[in-house]
Amino acid sequence: MNKTLAVIRREYVERVRTKAFLISTLLLPVFMLAMAVLPALLMSGGDHTTRVAVVDASGSGLGQPVVAALKAATIGHGRAARPRYDATLFPATAANLAQVRDGLIAKAGFAKGSGQHGWDGVLVLDADTLASGKLHYYGDNVSSPEGMNRLQRDISKALAGVRLAHAGVDQLLVAKAMVPADMDTAKVTDGKLTGQSGEASFALAYAMGFILYIAIITYGSRTLTSVIEEKNSRIMEVLTSSLTPFQMLMGKVLGVGLAGLTQMAIWVGTAFVLGGQGPHLAGAFGMGAEAAGKFAIPSVPPMLLVVFLLYFTLGFLIYGSLYAAIGAMCNTIQEAQQYAVFVTMSILVGFMSMFGLINDPSGALGTTMSFIPLFAPFTMPVRWSMTAVPPLQLALSLGLMVLGLLACVWLAGRIYRTGILMYGKKPTWGELWRWIRA
Amino acid sequence: MSTPSVSVESVTKRFAGHTAVSDLSLQVPSGGIYGLLGPNGAGKSTTIRLIMSILQPDEGRIALFGDSRNSRDLSARIGYLPEERGLYKKMRVLDHLVFLGEVKGIARAEAKRRAQAWLERLEIAGWAQKKVEDLSKGMQQKVQFAGALLHEPELVILDEPFSGLDPINAQVMKDIVVEIAAGGRTVLFSTHAMEQAERMCDRVAIIARGKLVANGTVAQVKADFGGRHVALGFAGDRHQADAILADPRLVARLDDYGASAELKMAEGAEPGQLLAALVAAGVGLRRFEVVEPSLHAIFVAKVGADPDAEPLPAVAGAAA
Repeated sequence: MNKTLAVIRREYVERVRTKAFLISTLLLPVFMLAMAVLPALLMSGGDHTTRVAVVDASGSGLGQPVVAALKAATIGHGRAARPRYDATLFPATAANLAQVRDGLIAKAGFAKGSGQHGWDGVLVLDADTLASGKLHYYGDNVSSPEGMNRLQRDISKALAGVRLAHAGVDQLLVAKAMVPADMDTAKVTDGKLTGQSGEASFALAYAMGFILYIAIITYGSRTLTSVIEEKNSRIMEVLTSSLTPFQMLMGKVLGVGLAGLTQMAIWVGTAFVLGGQGPHLAGAFGMGAEAAGKFAIPSVPPMLLVVFLLYFTLGFLIYGSLYAAIGAMCNTIQEAQQYAVFVTMSILVGFMSMFGLINDPSGALGTTMSFIPLFAPFTMPVRWSMTAVPPLQLALSLGLMVLGLLACVWLAGRIYRTGILMYGKKPTWGELWRWIRA
Repeated sequence: MSTPSVSVESVTKRFAGHTAVSDLSLQVPSGGIYGLLGPNGAGKSTTIRLIMSILQPDEGRIALFGDSRNSRDLSARIGYLPEERGLYKKMRVLDHLVFLGEVKGIARAEAKRRAQAWLERLEIAGWAQKKVEDLSKGMQQKVQFAGALLHEPELVILDEPFSGLDPINAQVMKDIVVEIAAGGRTVLFSTHAMEQAERMCDRVAIIARGKLVANGTVAQVKADFGGRHVALGFAGDRHQADAILADPRLVARLDDYGASAELKMAEGAEPGQLLAALVAAGVGLRRFEVVEPSLHAIFVAKVGADPDAEPLPAVAGAAA
């Protein structure tokens, strides 16, 4: 046991001490944040007030209520609210519509540089608009789906109000009727409210799956390179005369795993600290409070954390020992990659299956995959966070994981025993079978 | 007689295409220095790997301290320096030694203390916090040597311990080996450097092509070889001696080094006859001495090849 600890310590210290560890610890979050924030920022069409020129050629006074509706729309809520649109009405007739419209587009242009007089967009209401709902918008932000949806919603509201008013419905009644539905989702587990929103529990499950995926891909596979390095530096002969293959294998996988966990802990810890400071930071980055809310870290229910850590550990050990076995079989990294593809593929299948589970966490796919040790580490935490998993299923799945782990470690140990001292050509499948049986 | 430290009984090991060790038997008694001699490819390293349970014999059995378990189970009592040296290149020297001690079952604090003592003794204490890859090959070899001895094993197995070392470092290592043996512990080492083996070893085994060709104490091996041997040193020109040395009535076997030679007298010939013939021919002699046969001469006679004629063993392990 002490010998295994010595191996674990060596693997851990030698890894955590490297520059590569420091750099990846610092750079990956920056990269991931950029990946998460940039598209959102670009897609939202910005959170600045949009200057809209409304050209009213409807002939039915449609412009006035539309401008009013746009002026009523705000960014954010309560005291922090700012107007979403700065709308100005330009009356026109069917005859001079094209002239007014083109004049606005051309005169001001859409360039940001045109300052106060630059329109972000020109909205054109014509005679058909009230009846058909058809209208035109010319703007530089038309490719932002989020911005366009919002604009369309706000105008629809105004149109509906005008139509109702024309039909003789009382203005006050219209205002009351137009109050939108505002749905909050909440997750129920075992007949109890968890206090999580639906969105949050998916985000959480996704984050966990992603952490496991990253951990295995970056750290699990490092056991492979590390075994090959040991073979090539010929230190293996000294080790093998002092340590059993099992001690070497477990020490390596656990040591590398702990180094990975350390890095994860740094990231997650930083994320929690930053998450608590979310609104301040968002302000510093020039984002609205609403955008910052999207990146708030949902609180993790303790049971989910336990389930996740159990599966994380078991999954990491299974994949780590498989990678180590492949390292033992080969002499160069290039050679090992041919075999590692099989392991990487099953990690990918497990990870991708998470997206299939979102719609139906307890379906046949989810249940089946929970019982396959290679996939369960991805499947089970997602199911646990999104729905109630029967305790029997959880127990069975965990039991199978433990059996799977023992089988993998046994198999890897057999291959390790023979493979670590084999130099030269890589083994055929037949030879591999002989190593395992020997 | 006490239980031998190493007992190899009728061991055969085959690799694809050739037999590396063939029906080899040897006993390394407890205490003293035991030399395993042979040319490159003779099966020395294979024999050592078999003793270390790194390889499994196809036939025969091996016991350490009378115990036929895997050497790993006895690993706390054995120190091993493999032929292919290997260390973790990125590790710091002191950390590495502590690790090597720990995997032999020594507590961390004690391993650290001993590692520091060894580094001082080997005069590389200033390098303790450097990475292994920053050290010269010779220094790395010293580190590995210390690593094999850190747990004070009662049996030390060294595969070509002196190859690739400069004379000063080789001397340091030699002193340590002698000291271990003087403390009552057992050293088994392989080498193809006969003169060194002759000076250091209590017992030797000479193997060639996987077979044992001579075995016993150095004195026994010499006595078994028999015959009378003469060492010659030439002063100046020596070509007048060539015809005499080639005379089969006088000389049975000649080991010629140019400026000196070692020869075995023919059956019935007297060293005096040889000396008279050389003087009569006007050969200038610096040295004429009746000697015991050197291990080198025995080796050449038995194996039929000069051990030094082949290229020196690649120190690939240390170089890589």
